[in-house]
Amino acid sequence: MSEAALNTTRRYFLGQCTGVSIGAMALNSLAGEDAIGLPSLPHFAPKAKRVIFLTQSGGPSQLELFDHKPGLMQWAGKELPESVRNGQRLTTMTANQKQLVLPGITKFSQHGQSGATVSEWLPHLGRVADDLCFIKSMTTDQINHAPAMTQFLTGHQLPGRPSMGSWISYGLGSANKNLPDYLVLISKMQRPSDQPLYDHYWGSGFLPSRYQGVKLRNSKDPVLYLSDPDGLPRHLRRGMLDGLAELNQMRFEQTYDPEITTRIRQYEMAYRMQASVPELTDLSEEPEHVFEMYGPDSRRAGSYAANCILARRLAERGVRFIQLFHPDWDHHSRLPSWCTARCRDTDQPSAALIKDLKQRGLLDETLVIWGGEFGRGVAGQGQWDSPEAGRDHHPRCFTMWMAGGGVKPGMTYGSTDEFSYNVAENPVHVRDLHATVMHLLGIEHERFTFRSQGLDFKLTGVELARVVKDILA
Amino acid sequence: MRFSLFIYLLFTAAATQAVEPPLPAKISFNRDIRPIMSDTCFHCHGFDPKTREAGLRLDIREEALKPSENDLLGIVPGKPDKSEIILRIFDEEDPMPPEKAHKPLTSRQKALFRQWVAEGAHYEPHWAYATLTKPAPSAGGHAVDAFIQAKLAEKNIQPSPEAAKSKLVRRLSLDLTGLPPSPQTVAALVSGRKSYDDLVTELLASPRFGERMAVWWLDIARYADTVGFHGDQNQRIFPYRDYVINAFNSNKRFDQFTIEQLAGDLLPEAKEEQLVATGYNRLNMMTREGGAQPKEYLAKYGAERVRSVAAAWFGSTFGCAECHDHKFDPIKAQDFYELQAFFADMKQWGVYSDYRYTPEPELAGFNNEFPFPPEIQVKSAYLEKRHRAAQAELDAHLQAQRTKQTAVSQAWLDSTAAFLKSHPTGWSAPVPSVRLLTNGKPAAEKKAASPDAPAIDEKAVVRLKNALGKGQTLEITLPLDAASSIAAVQIEVLEEGTPPEKPVTLSVSASVQPAKGKARPVRFTMADASLKWATHKAGAEVMGIEQGWFLPQGKQTQPMRGVWLTEAPVVAKAGDKLVLTLSGTSTRPVRVSFSSVAATSTQQLLSGEIVNALQTTPEKRNAAQQTLIWESWFASAAPDVEAVKKSRDLAKAVRDWNEGRAWTLITKPTEKPLTVKVLPRGNWQDESGPVVLPATPSFLPARIESQDGKRLSRLDLAKYIVSKENPITARTVMNRLWHQFFGNGLSAVLDDLGSQGELPSHPELLDWLASEFRESGWDMKHMIRLMVTSATYKQSSSLRPELKDIDPANRLLASQNPRRLDAEFIRDNALSISGLLNLDEIGGPSAKPYQPAGYYAALQFPSRDYISATDRTQWRRGVYMHWQRTFLHPMLANFDAPARDECAAIRTSSNTPQQALTLLNDPSFVEAARVFADRVLREGTDDKRRLQVAAELAWSREPKPKEIESLTTFLTTQREHYKANPADADKLVKVGLAPPSNIPAPELAAWTQVCRVLLNAQETITRY
Repeated sequence: MSEAALNTTRRYFLGQCTGVSIGAMALNSLAGEDAIGLPSLPHFAPKAKRVIFLTQSGGPSQLELFDHKPGLMQWAGKELPESVRNGQRLTTMTANQKQLVLPGITKFSQHGQSGATVSEWLPHLGRVADDLCFIKSMTTDQINHAPAMTQFLTGHQLPGRPSMGSWISYGLGSANKNLPDYLVLISKMQRPSDQPLYDHYWGSGFLPSRYQGVKLRNSKDPVLYLSDPDGLPRHLRRGMLDGLAELNQMRFEQTYDPEITTRIRQYEMAYRMQASVPELTDLSEEPEHVFEMYGPDSRRAGSYAANCILARRLAERGVRFIQLFHPDWDHHSRLPSWCTARCRDTDQPSAALIKDLKQRGLLDETLVIWGGEFGRGVAGQGQWDSPEAGRDHHPRCFTMWMAGGGVKPGMTYGSTDEFSYNVAENPVHVRDLHATVMHLLGIEHERFTFRSQGLDFKLTGVELARVVKDILA
Repeated sequence: MRFSLFIYLLFTAAATQAVEPPLPAKISFNRDIRPIMSDTCFHCHGFDPKTREAGLRLDIREEALKPSENDLLGIVPGKPDKSEIILRIFDEEDPMPPEKAHKPLTSRQKALFRQWVAEGAHYEPHWAYATLTKPAPSAGGHAVDAFIQAKLAEKNIQPSPEAAKSKLVRRLSLDLTGLPPSPQTVAALVSGRKSYDDLVTELLASPRFGERMAVWWLDIARYADTVGFHGDQNQRIFPYRDYVINAFNSNKRFDQFTIEQLAGDLLPEAKEEQLVATGYNRLNMMTREGGAQPKEYLAKYGAERVRSVAAAWFGSTFGCAECHDHKFDPIKAQDFYELQAFFADMKQWGVYSDYRYTPEPELAGFNNEFPFPPEIQVKSAYLEKRHRAAQAELDAHLQAQRTKQTAVSQAWLDSTAAFLKSHPTGWSAPVPSVRLLTNGKPAAEKKAASPDAPAIDEKAVVRLKNALGKGQTLEITLPLDAASSIAAVQIEVLEEGTPPEKPVTLSVSASVQPAKGKARPVRFTMADASLKWATHKAGAEVMGIEQGWFLPQGKQTQPMRGVWLTEAPVVAKAGDKLVLTLSGTSTRPVRVSFSSVAATSTQQLLSGEIVNALQTTPEKRNAAQQTLIWESWFASAAPDVEAVKKSRDLAKAVRDWNEGRAWTLITKPTEKPLTVKVLPRGNWQDESGPVVLPATPSFLPARIESQDGKRLSRLDLAKYIVSKENPITARTVMNRLWHQFFGNGLSAVLDDLGSQGELPSHPELLDWLASEFRESGWDMKHMIRLMVTSATYKQSSSLRPELKDIDPANRLLASQNPRRLDAEFIRDNALSISGLLNLDEIGGPSAKPYQPAGYYAALQFPSRDYISATDRTQWRRGVYMHWQRTFLHPMLANFDAPARDECAAIRTSSNTPQQALTLLNDPSFVEAARVFADRVLREGTDDKRRLQVAAELAWSREPKPKEIESLTTFLTTQREHYKANPADADKLVKVGLAPPSNIPAPELAAWTQVCRVLLNAQETITRY
């Protein structure tokens, strides 16, 4: 049912029930509306109850991390054959440069029973490889960061569409009454990163703004305007909300304006968030061994590692969509030092999150996704054989991994050609990823639409998108 | 209980959907059939030949009656049982639409189809594109009411009674000005001293009207202060916003308003205001990202412009047609690109910078602090006022000083005269000695004589052989006579040799080196040049050259002189030398000089006016010259150093206001328009599509096309948009205007009047309004007056439970619709209630109210801090708030203001916990509550009276006894707390910039809490 229809229904309903006390009604509609999302969803029994999306912004290099191409050594320093490149676009940064092959500069080894190839730069992840499902044949259409990330998260390259998290929040709601359905955590870097992370990456587009991602900030106010003004103890705040509710209720009794009951409810939610968010973000109660598992950086507030612990806490609290952003994977130069730095930030905490969820019995119902907006090209950027060399953006293939939540563990899906340039088999377009995530959450992506500007929009857009059935457990 | 109630809610929802109205007596194609066809048939049997199946086309009657590819007859008028579409609709085995489309027809929809075919399958043109004729109202009186009441009468519904006067005043005031009425205005209306119609006249004439209506149009025009893509840098465009405000205030004809924005630059003898209006075309998002492909971004800009223009004036969604013919509306891909071609003459860049890999020589030297040309400089009334105020402050300061110390000392006059006698230009340029320094150290002696050493000629001109290397500076040392006074330093840059291809830099520092001992630094206060290449900070021009002098590239015709004023004149001792250290990338010859003549501002020296005054014989000096001489003396010899310093600071402020000039984005036509091709699937890399020329959309009447040799222009498009032949613009605008005053559009989908939109609830009324709008001379105020003086508008907004089945969404308007205020007006309302609102003047640079720290932390290229205002601009109206597209102010974003990345014809109205947190804790609202409390305490005499004052301010009505009771109880608890905890009270009453109150903190804190409750109440943020 559309939002408009829901509102209309609410309007009727409240019009009829003027005898019921407003407090009771607010409580009931809390359970009734926010918690469940759309009545038509899920379309079928979901495998995953929630998502943790570990977004790696900037385009991590599949060639250094997962997509092992030993055959490239013989191409080192030679020009990429035109038969491979086939006139594909480059960014203007390297368009005028010769495309000389830079073989992956790391060592790879096989891990676990599944024998997945993982780079030496990701030792912890290697140890949980049997829990992961690698997709080596990801592909996208966009070559620059903002359009690619926008497409990766909203299905369209221009800002203005709802992000995946907003769609899920709109469709499924949350099981937690004290926290928003969709929360966003951004790594606080030791050194500022170059690529901006825009609000529209977690925006609700044309969906009502209550479905937008709420950013948990690493500051005094983890949610904007969460803290009361100075000089207002909590009991006074409660009294104030009661005073306000009373006033609003009197108004409701005169007008039956249904927005008033919603308003009362939202003030209650705000009040609960004022308690639940600080409780959520306070890691002081976490035992020592947890910090040890997530690595030394986890003690630094706002770090990716600390955010991974928060992600687990959010999963425990039933939040529907949890999205982490780790920036600075844009390795145009200095691959050996720059890329390893990002691996150090993320390797141990990502692996720890998988282990932690698993030992708490949450992994089966939580879909964990790791990946960025595109991959990196096989040609060296700059002087290919110097330590200064990097790689340019590459949208034609990249690697992601998923875990838990109905995905086959210990699997590798799809492959690329010998240059990690084109997808060789089983391409997975970004929209296929979207369709698959929806499927795992019990949503048939073709049937989950929202009407705006006279059109029925869906996350997967107008092109044909497929659920990648082969990776479903 | 909780669960069962929820089930009940679901059940009610389901039941509501299941109840279907009976079939109409006679089918109307537009009302009954087209919406179903559009939703379920046209995708495969519509406009787009590429997706058409079985050769069957249903959107055109003649086509639908033809045999299909397999020789079946889709529609046989009058014979449903012979019509294939009816047979298939009812076919359970192989139904239409097919199951995979997930769009099954309801039994009522099937029955409608059957009845329609049985009645002869009559088509009607789509209502929005049909010729506009003015229907006659069915009754006399107010035309709006005649149409509305005719529909209500059909359903036997009585309209609601008129709302109480106090409510009506508040509604009208919020609707027309975005501000609540003053209690005096409410009283005047309630007592009958002022009539409602007079209030309408008054509010329409208020300058606040334009500020309110501008918000409506700025969403449509996607007005923002930043460019949106990548670094989301500032763009300079506020004069366009002020143009919009002024256009509504002066009731500019809407056709003129349209023409000026789309094509003001093409009007004969275009006025400045008309050029400012063309900023509209420049409000697409722009990029300066390194590595971005200019062609790709030009395609993006072009496509966005089409979407925005189509949405703004045609109420149509062109977006789909960028890639393919529209599936539901007759909009072809060709239409999309033909519309785009109108804008192909605009001067623009794909990437607004000059990168090595994407050179744009015209943008040489641009960095992330730079603006986005083309722009023009205009006078801003707001800034002119600031400039005048700064000048007045400087004048007053100097006047006061002159009163205190009038006498210009004779000794100073004599020594100045002596200096001018030797140096009639006012500048002394002795032949200097020079040397190159590396990291501040001279090269070894022998190297100094190397061929690299700079040359000096007899006119004291210094020529560099090579550009300064890394860490290198050029030291120029001037010999000084004993007792010479250095009040200013000048560098003349000579035009000689090959002019530089890029702007070059020149910076200078100075010291006085005595014959023995340590050099004494000479500090400069103010510096300016006769000619400079403008540098920028956050998009704003850096006015002086204190931070360095940028010299323009290419050959110059004007002299290049830079002047640096010293903090106070430095007096040389015997053997002292003046050492100037030059750095930068300039290799042009320079001559340095100094002056003993001091001044308040650099301009007085650059213009030579002080020197002229001093060289005029004393008896011939006019008053202005005498003042200049006094100022020069004051700056040289006045004993009050602080007063001199202040005069310099004030002079700099005067300079920085730049006489009230501001830059603004404009449309500049170029000789050679870009070639526009149809891009297959919207792919900018695919060059295979046909070239198109400007033409108006093929689905609208009276299409105009470019002919051989006669290319249509933006002006042609603009004139077409507001022509008599085009029916859609007036319908679009009136539908949107209606939404402002009645809460819904007559056609509820404001941004799509196409077939996926909605047939208007009152088609005749919309056509009547559209016709009246055109006939009245596109008179906005006339139309607004018509709407708000109708009985329909004045109805009570109380919900009518008895109508829940007949008219659940109140589309028949048996009552008014309450509406939560838009984001900007929630702010304005709170500030107005408290008395903080700053209504000093209209327009000006965007204002920066409080914003959480670190909110822009993720912004890069360049990284920046948000510095909230520390003056009265803190309390300006929401329409003036800085609009950062990627990180919109959280207060605005939380209350559903759009980012304005693209045309936004409608705002959602959500109700979220973040809104609660904003109203509770955003310092703007806490401060407003504190100042509101102060006002209430001052204006009322006891608690009860104070609560009355508060309610009258917040709600424009008397509080009810129960409300007083409730608030009094609340006040008591707050008072108890803050009396017992005065430290808490001290903290609460400190929020915000507003001056502290003299009311004891515990009492003020308790009332601040009461006022916070009032400002958070739903009634306060709702227009009932």
